[in-house]
Amino acid sequence: MTTTVCGRCKSSGAVTDHQGRQDGAVVWTILRCPTCNFSWRDSEPARAIDPAVRSADFAVDAGDLQRYPKILQQ
Amino acid sequence: MTMNDLPNRARSISSLRDFLELLEDAGQAITWSDAVMPEPGVRNIAVAASRDANGAPAIVFDNITGYPGKRLAVGVHGSWDNIALLLGRPKGTTIRELFFEIAGRWGDQEAQISFVPEAQAPVHECRIEQDINLYDVLPVYRINEYDGGFYIGKASVASRDPLDPDNFGKQNVGIYRLQIQGPDSFTLMTIPSHDMGRQIMAAEREGVPLKIAVMLGNHPGLAVFAATPIGYEESEYSYASAMMGAPIRLTKSGNGIDILADSEIVIEAELQLGERELEGPFGEFPGSYSGVRKAPIFKVTAVSHRRDPIFENIYIGRGWTEHDTLIGLHTSAPIYAQLRQSFPEVTAVNALYQHGLTGIISVKNRMAGFAKTVALRALSTPHGVMYLKNLIMVDADVDPFDLNQVMWALSTRTRADDIIVLPNMPAVPIDPSAVVPGKGHRLIIDATSYLPPDPVGEAHLVTPPTGDEIDALSKRIREMQLGALS
Repeated sequence: MTTTVCGRCKSSGAVTDHQGRQDGAVVWTILRCPTCNFSWRDSEPARAIDPAVRSADFAVDAGDLQRYPKILQQ
Repeated sequence: MTMNDLPNRARSISSLRDFLELLEDAGQAITWSDAVMPEPGVRNIAVAASRDANGAPAIVFDNITGYPGKRLAVGVHGSWDNIALLLGRPKGTTIRELFFEIAGRWGDQEAQISFVPEAQAPVHECRIEQDINLYDVLPVYRINEYDGGFYIGKASVASRDPLDPDNFGKQNVGIYRLQIQGPDSFTLMTIPSHDMGRQIMAAEREGVPLKIAVMLGNHPGLAVFAATPIGYEESEYSYASAMMGAPIRLTKSGNGIDILADSEIVIEAELQLGERELEGPFGEFPGSYSGVRKAPIFKVTAVSHRRDPIFENIYIGRGWTEHDTLIGLHTSAPIYAQLRQSFPEVTAVNALYQHGLTGIISVKNRMAGFAKTVALRALSTPHGVMYLKNLIMVDADVDPFDLNQVMWALSTRTRADDIIVLPNMPAVPIDPSAVVPGKGHRLIIDATSYLPPDPVGEAHLVTPPTGDEIDALSKRIREMQLGALS
């Protein structure tokens, strides 16, 4: 069952961008979090996509997106 | 394939397909037809292959689960043997020989550029202008496990100067990392000092459009030379053609940019002026992840591709990786050529390590302390400004590509006060040792010997035999060793 909770910022509401098929059957789904832009495939190992076990070092703080610098400022 | 055919065969390459055929004939490309999951399967195989920096083959995947019928190539430039074949030299050519092969071509040849009508260009065989879905075209996968998304890591991005769009020389071709941001969008990471960074800032400042063409699966010479730091007004196409000593075929993209006629795939896109989207992290060439930043975003307007296209990508991360063999020699050679304009005493430059974060330069010392002067000049070359962080200066009797010799020089010719630290200099933002991203210290270690007026003078050196005869004997010993196995 595909979850729509982002493994990186824990926001809900991920959108489906693509489904991979093999012999007519869906074998995986690519999702994207509209809050932090994390994209993932639901067939990836849990340590990369499951918010319960994913490393906190790579979390994004959905409540403070201002902290991330903007490149190429005039 | 005989050894004598190699230079001609290399010059006849006009596409990724040609090169893969050459590599296959030489035992340097393999097809992976076992079913493999995009994650972590593709990454695991790419990393395992890239452990062999000297001999790793390119790998073509044709059975990735969920991508039936699609092909992916990694490691095309993933070993010195593959680079040697691209340059028309046999497998087993030493890195030093490859360096001088490239350095010898510098400024030596004329560019041969021809234009192919769009209707006859293989890259335009198939065209998508509606319902664009990059995920449907490209068998993408997460390159490193904590990357922020699915990256295109080996894209040669072509663009015209938004303020001088008719100037051929000011077209830029560079390799930039692209993160797919939904079916028809991607972010592009660059910095203000890169050509693309300059063009984005100029377009946004003046409010003029910036259109780009992202070329994937290219002539293998372009992938090498598009990553080479040359002057802003030098065309990478002309440069690549001159360096390969071979013609390059161009055509027009649908959005009016000169592109390679024989590329596998081209993605046409337009900058969304002033917009930024979260990008990263991405496992980068220093072997660590970049941060998360807000990067410029491009909207895809069309995709062209050859029939049954091959998506070419790269494994990049903690070295040794394809990134190091792809750009190492072509980072070193321009620094060498630029230094020799001022100082013909420079005999070789090895900037293979992490895009030149560490470089080793050999020089004939003109006087005491001269090597330090040369080091300071190196820091002001186009690449040195941002990248050359640690410089080790050695004498001309030390081969900078032989780290055992470099360590000998460090051990016997360096005094602790032969070290210069230049604090608070420009730094590559993704250097993890920087004080803050973009600012850090430089280190020069002078490991050259002492000359007057230094009172010590040169030690009385042992001079073991060197030269062609010894090189030939080394090769013969190696061949006898290999022969003993077969």
